[in-house]
Amino acid sequence: MTIEKIVNGSVLTMNIGGRLDTTTAPELEAAIDASLAGIEELTLDLEALEYVSSAGLRVILKAQKIMNAQGEMKLIHVNETIMEVFDITGFVDILTIE
Amino acid sequence: MFNLLKFAAATLLPVVFAVFFYHLEKKPSFLDFPHKKRQLIIGLAFGVLTIFANEFSISSGGVPMNVCDAAPLVAGLIFGGPAGIIAGIIGGMERWFAVYWGADIYTRTACTLGTILAGFLGAAVRKYMLDDKKPSWVYGLAMGITAEVMHMLLVFLTNISDIAQAFSVVKICAMPMITANGLSVMLSALVISRLGKEHLRKAENVQNISQTFQRWLAVCVLIAFACTGFLTYTLQNRLANNSADELLLLNMEDVRNDINEASDRNILNNAKEIALHTTIDTTSEELVQMAETYGIAEINLIDKNGIIIATTYPDFLGYDMASGKQSSTFIPLLKGTKSIVQSYQPTSFDPSLSRKYAGVAIEGGAIQIGYDAVQFQADIQTQVMDTVRYRHVGQDGYIVICDENWNVVRGKSGESTIQLTPIDTDLIPENTRYIGELYGENTYCVYTKAEGYYIITALPQSAAMFNRDIAVYILMFMEITVFASLFALVYFLIKRLVVDNIREINRSLAKITGGNLDVTVNVRSNEEFASLSDDINSTVVTLKRYISEAEARIDKELEFAKSIQHSALPSVFPPYPHRKDFEIFASMDTAKEVGGDFYDFYLLNDDRIAFLIADVSGKGIPAAMFMMTAKTLIKDFAESGMEVNDAFTRANAKLCEGNDAGMFVTAWMGYLDLKTGLLSYANAGHNPPVICRKDGTFEYLRTRPNFILAGMEGIKYKKHELQLFPGDQIYLYTDGVTEAQDVNNQLYGEARLLDVLNNNRTSDVTSLCKAVHADVDVFAGEADQFDDITMLAFKLHFLKNGGTLTVSPDMASVSYVTDFLESQLEKLEVPMKVANRIKIATDEIYSNIVRYSGAESASVHCDIKKTTLSLIFRDNGKPYNPLENDDPDITSSAEDREIGGLGVFMVKKMMDSVEYEHTDGWNVLTMRMNI
Repeated sequence: MTIEKIVNGSVLTMNIGGRLDTTTAPELEAAIDASLAGIEELTLDLEALEYVSSAGLRVILKAQKIMNAQGEMKLIHVNETIMEVFDITGFVDILTIE
Repeated sequence: MFNLLKFAAATLLPVVFAVFFYHLEKKPSFLDFPHKKRQLIIGLAFGVLTIFANEFSISSGGVPMNVCDAAPLVAGLIFGGPAGIIAGIIGGMERWFAVYWGADIYTRTACTLGTILAGFLGAAVRKYMLDDKKPSWVYGLAMGITAEVMHMLLVFLTNISDIAQAFSVVKICAMPMITANGLSVMLSALVISRLGKEHLRKAENVQNISQTFQRWLAVCVLIAFACTGFLTYTLQNRLANNSADELLLLNMEDVRNDINEASDRNILNNAKEIALHTTIDTTSEELVQMAETYGIAEINLIDKNGIIIATTYPDFLGYDMASGKQSSTFIPLLKGTKSIVQSYQPTSFDPSLSRKYAGVAIEGGAIQIGYDAVQFQADIQTQVMDTVRYRHVGQDGYIVICDENWNVVRGKSGESTIQLTPIDTDLIPENTRYIGELYGENTYCVYTKAEGYYIITALPQSAAMFNRDIAVYILMFMEITVFASLFALVYFLIKRLVVDNIREINRSLAKITGGNLDVTVNVRSNEEFASLSDDINSTVVTLKRYISEAEARIDKELEFAKSIQHSALPSVFPPYPHRKDFEIFASMDTAKEVGGDFYDFYLLNDDRIAFLIADVSGKGIPAAMFMMTAKTLIKDFAESGMEVNDAFTRANAKLCEGNDAGMFVTAWMGYLDLKTGLLSYANAGHNPPVICRKDGTFEYLRTRPNFILAGMEGIKYKKHELQLFPGDQIYLYTDGVTEAQDVNNQLYGEARLLDVLNNNRTSDVTSLCKAVHADVDVFAGEADQFDDITMLAFKLHFLKNGGTLTVSPDMASVSYVTDFLESQLEKLEVPMKVANRIKIATDEIYSNIVRYSGAESASVHCDIKKTTLSLIFRDNGKPYNPLENDDPDITSSAEDREIGGLGVFMVKKMMDSVEYEHTDGWNVLTMRMNI
């Protein structure tokens, strides 16, 4: 998977590519853990992401929880497959998807 | 007799001392003393021995004799220079002072100097001629003799003003002392050399230059000595004889002349007296009367015709004087000669009768008178005695006068009445020297007859030969000294100029031939050796250049050979980057530039890989060449589709052909079916490989090996089989690993190999190999690498058989499964949306199997039948049906959300059907999706 971080003051944009599954989720988790301090606005750009499995959902959920406490988080460019996963799992209700 | 014993004892004592100190010198306790101290002790001991010899001197004919030079010589020659010098000085000093308690004063200086000289002589010869080694008996004898001869010369030199007495001393003591000293030193050297079994100066069968030279030099010196000795003796003898002859004859002639003169005067006086009383007419009766008056034997009256006309002997009447030789002497009286005297001789008339005649001319004839010897000898006795009385023949010679019957008239010291043994005058003519015994000694004599006397001049032989003997002795002694010095000098020079230089060169050459080409020969003491040294050095330099050129060339070629050999082996790792189902790594570290080990691996087809390791006997180029052949043959046969054992069988047959060098190869080769995991292998005498099952430990795979390759024709190799599973590892090696040696020649060993493998069993194969190599290096330490170190490690990750992938369910395997499905979905041309769902499902299900099932094996299968895609997971973990779980709450807030169960829930939602069953210990989850 690929992770690209763009920091603009307290605004962080992460471009996530590839697939987010059991194998790659820990990588994203580590990236998020290391980047969120002082961030008030987190944007996850999923344009290049193929799919997300439950392991990826866990990381996204974790990020959402953190951002709930210190600002806000949104997901952009979510493709059909991922959107389906968010639908099935009810994640559409707790995420801000643009 | 007692003297002889004393002399013998003094001769043998140095031998006894030599033996004693020889043994003492072998004693470690004595050797603890420093060298100087030991020399001092030995020097003192032999000094005491010299004193003893001085005091032990015996006297022969008033001349003292001793064996005082032997001890310092023995000390110097056998035990070392300082000891000899000390002993000589002690002995010499004692001899000087020994005069105060009765030693001979005449030879004081000579003996003192001689003894000191002997010590120095021994020291010098040992140092300069014997290379500080013990002498052979020949040297001992020569040294003993030479030293003593010099001692004798010293006697002459120190008494040069009284050479005669010096000679008389030397003449008596020379032979015994020279013999005794020579024997003493010779025996010492002989006994010591026999004791030590040191065949001194003759260690090799081939004589060295100095020995040959020494021998010939000795022969030359001896011949020269003999020649000059003989010449000297002959010359001096001839000179002495000539001067004796001259002396004897001269004196004899003088005496004879004196006697003749006296006798002639006497008879002539009588003849003149008688002539006064005689005329030509005197009758025979008157003549008889006169003969009686004058005491004359015979008077003859001769007329002018030479006829006896009157005579005291009637028979003579009418005798013609001219008719006899003796009588005709008187004819000149008739022709004007006044008087004639004849020596005492046989008469012409009667040759048996000797007479002395004188004649005087008278008017008309002549008168002749004749004496018998007795008659005139009485007249001239006094004159004869006077003639001899003041006459000496040389210093010690004398004159003896005898009458006709050898009654001595005048002896050596005056009147005498003895009778000499008559000389056979026919055998020894007059005026000829002969040796007779006179007055009890051999004497040179010459005799002559004069007037009825025998005059004998005599010179005792000893006196005649005194000068000769002195000359011969001194010359001989000088010659011995000179020749000995010459021998020593020439030998020393040759040794110094030639032999030592040759030895020096040989020492350098030995180093050079021993491999040290940096040694230079540097003997510059003379031009020849300097040029030889230069030639050798330049030869070595040229040789060195050639060698380094050759080395450089060989190095370059070996470097080429090495790169060829290494490039013949697969050396790019990973070798098949696109293949994830296995890992392979191999390395070869040759002991020399090129080696005889090799490894190899190749894909026989997509689903089968062959890998092998082999070890050719020997090392270096031959092994490398054989290795190339073996490697190529095996690969050719393996790739031609043969089973592993058949490939070995064929390769063996080929390798046996024309294997004149008798090389052989041990090899292990395996084929692994990457679909089923079945390993088939053959072993041609190679070390057992090491196998590590997933989650197990490394163990030797011991199966009975077949015979080595190229060892014997017609060997049929056996195929063995072993089932491998994903996660299994196999490690191949050559004996360069297990038989690596440390500095104490301990072998690395199989146990240690097993330990290091097990300690690294979770590493990848590259790290595994490197860990083993590092451990071998640590073990070997400073010890040289003796053999090629070659190894190959293989690890199986998964098996892929069509649409089914078999793995060992661990974290690493997740990516294998993911990659497999991706490629499989691509192959099946599944639409992306469906594919993504399948991938999500796979991730959810397989990650659960990895985490929770505890399975050892798992497989995933994916295919499409008609329009239905099937995805089947199997695992042999604990029975678990994920479909039985409740669906998770998907409506709660982010803070309250649980992730658990979400995965299976997603799968159920996304798949058209999901079924679970448990059969034969396997969980089987089948998902289907219509496309």
